Amino acid sequence: MKNGIKRALITGISGQDGSYLARYLLGNGYEVFGASRDAQAASFTNLSKLGIRDKVKTVSMSLNDFRSVLQALVQIKPTEIYNLAAQSSVSLSFEQPVETMESITIGTLNLLEAMRFLGMPIRFYNAGSSECFGDTGGEPANEATPFRPKSPYAVAKSAAFWEVVNYRDAYDLFACSGILFNHESPLRQKRFVTIKIVNAAYRIAQGSGERLKLGNLDIQRDWGWAEEYVEAMWLMLQKEVPDDYIVATGETHTLKDFVSEVFLNFGLNWEDYVDFDQDLIRPNELLVSKADPIKAYHDLGWQAKYRMKDVARMMTEVIRDDWMNVR
Amino acid sequence: MKKALITGVTGQDGAYLAELLLKKGYEVHGVKRRSSLFNTDRIDHLYQDPHVSDRRFILHHGDMTDSSSLVRIIQKIQPDEIYNLAAQSHVAVSFEEPEYTANSDALGALRILEAIRILGLEKKTRFYQASTSELYGLVQEIPQKETTPFYPRSPYAVAKLYAYWITVNYREAYGMYACNGILFNHESPIRGETFVTRKITRALARISLGLQDCLYLGNLDAKRDWGHAKDYVEMQWLMLQQEQPEDFVIATGVQYSVRDFVSAAAKEIGMEIEWRGSGIDEQGYWKNSPDSRTSPIVAVDPRYFRPSEVETLLGDPTKAKEKLGWVPKISFSELVSEMVREDLKSAKRDELVKSHGFAIYNFNE
Repeated sequence: MKNGIKRALITGISGQDGSYLARYLLGNGYEVFGASRDAQAASFTNLSKLGIRDKVKTVSMSLNDFRSVLQALVQIKPTEIYNLAAQSSVSLSFEQPVETMESITIGTLNLLEAMRFLGMPIRFYNAGSSECFGDTGGEPANEATPFRPKSPYAVAKSAAFWEVVNYRDAYDLFACSGILFNHESPLRQKRFVTIKIVNAAYRIAQGSGERLKLGNLDIQRDWGWAEEYVEAMWLMLQKEVPDDYIVATGETHTLKDFVSEVFLNFGLNWEDYVDFDQDLIRPNELLVSKADPIKAYHDLGWQAKYRMKDVARMMTEVIRDDWMNVR
Repeated sequence: MKKALITGVTGQDGAYLAELLLKKGYEVHGVKRRSSLFNTDRIDHLYQDPHVSDRRFILHHGDMTDSSSLVRIIQKIQPDEIYNLAAQSHVAVSFEEPEYTANSDALGALRILEAIRILGLEKKTRFYQASTSELYGLVQEIPQKETTPFYPRSPYAVAKLYAYWITVNYREAYGMYACNGILFNHESPIRGETFVTRKITRALARISLGLQDCLYLGNLDAKRDWGHAKDYVEMQWLMLQQEQPEDFVIATGVQYSVRDFVSAAAKEIGMEIEWRGSGIDEQGYWKNSPDSRTSPIVAVDPRYFRPSEVETLLGDPTKAKEKLGWVPKISFSELVSEMVREDLKSAKRDELVKSHGFAIYNFNE
């Protein structure tokens, strides 16, 4: 890195990936700035949970406001930017399609435009999404697989992906997209299905007597462990040449398998506690998500250590500890 | 009587489509942007005074960047069909105004789809989205058809990619009758003057009459599949008359370079062009000029190069042929000839004005 300065700006610092990435970069000697729409009002709970709240410098920045993006870049002079901010819920994107598009597509555009305008040698990571592929008919998606987005969230992420490619081609920016498949952790927001399952299974194990309502249990996903995915983001920005990479475990499992695994970790048989709920079916549900992460292994030397069963186990362990601590 | 709403009614396609739909007996509504200047010259011949009874062509003020204006217009009209032709449609300009392009082209399409959904018109109103061959950009196969993966190369193309997929998404998620027409380049005498074909026919007409010296162009090697807008708008209408909503490529299946277009247009006026040099030094000379001029009449100006170029586009319209009965009626040479003829008329008008001592302008960009 030039002059030895390692200064990273992370948008979406409050989220799961932002927090893990901040911790990872701090551990690598970076000065870490975290952007949030209103840094004074935000609570940064995830940063606190990871014990790095006071080590991350937080700044206010609205990605939809070009002035605020420009100002933040001029003040911070980052050597690397990780754009993780987004309206990140697929189901919410059907209810807030414009906000989803603005936060993802226009937000990414403003960052790219600010970098183009300032001409600073910033390396840029953009959070792509496996949702862009849609259903690949059971075929594993690689970097050459065409997008087939199936939600306003995925459409917005697809457009942002192409913005990054275009600005890299047109203006020689060092800009990369990581197309991350599902990656979980205890820091996931509560509305995500994995957290919902783990929490419910824990309460049931404690004798709550409740039933867990789920939508389609046959959907298939590639579930990895968020903490190790953030390393792949960093690795992309250390390459000679910017490129796009799929980040995944390469293993696909049904939601049913995940549910079963989580309940098993509590010594329970899931079938005794789970009900199907029609209302939880999305308008345009993605059925199978499958990845071929070989390029990241070859070019970045990155490979997922933890697979679905590990993820289920680790999430139950952490949540169990967490609940005990609370009591 | 069927009602249609056209966004971008003041543009080339909007004007031809409005004409076609009026001929088919529709009540046609158009959205136009507020401007201090008159911006309706392409549809002035269709204009009906508000005091005329039984008007069938009605304009509304609205804007693709203003959700409530769109919701209000659509609520009032309750259209059977909406044709979303409005856009910041210039590729080169999109590199300079990327956010506006995203706002009007990408979010604009979403705002219309949302308006349909908000008003509960999903089952009534059919939606046409003007998609573009620019989606193919760095082409992934030749020729390009409906299944060819996209590789957009400009902020314009990325915005249109968003609009394409959000249209597909609303069709699938809400069962709306919504289609994308992936139209390859389509031109006409009322094509915007800043688009390359019109720029060429206009400039050559003026050069032939001594009103202009030289035509400056960007990438002469760029190859495009050029058809006539009048043919293409008929396909837009046909796409909304099918049993099932589907996306279609509309193209001629033949491609020419920008250089070919210049030569063809020049030939129409009786000008013979000789190309000399290559790359940015390539120049076109008027071999049979009456004043035996030695300076070039066509030259390359790198300022017209795009930061990332789309070198070649060639469409495969097989699906449209089979399902819509698509046969372009107007050939490439007829297109060029019509464009040249019309631009010669206006150049002659300018010549006349000038010869009477009034100022005329080139209006070059």
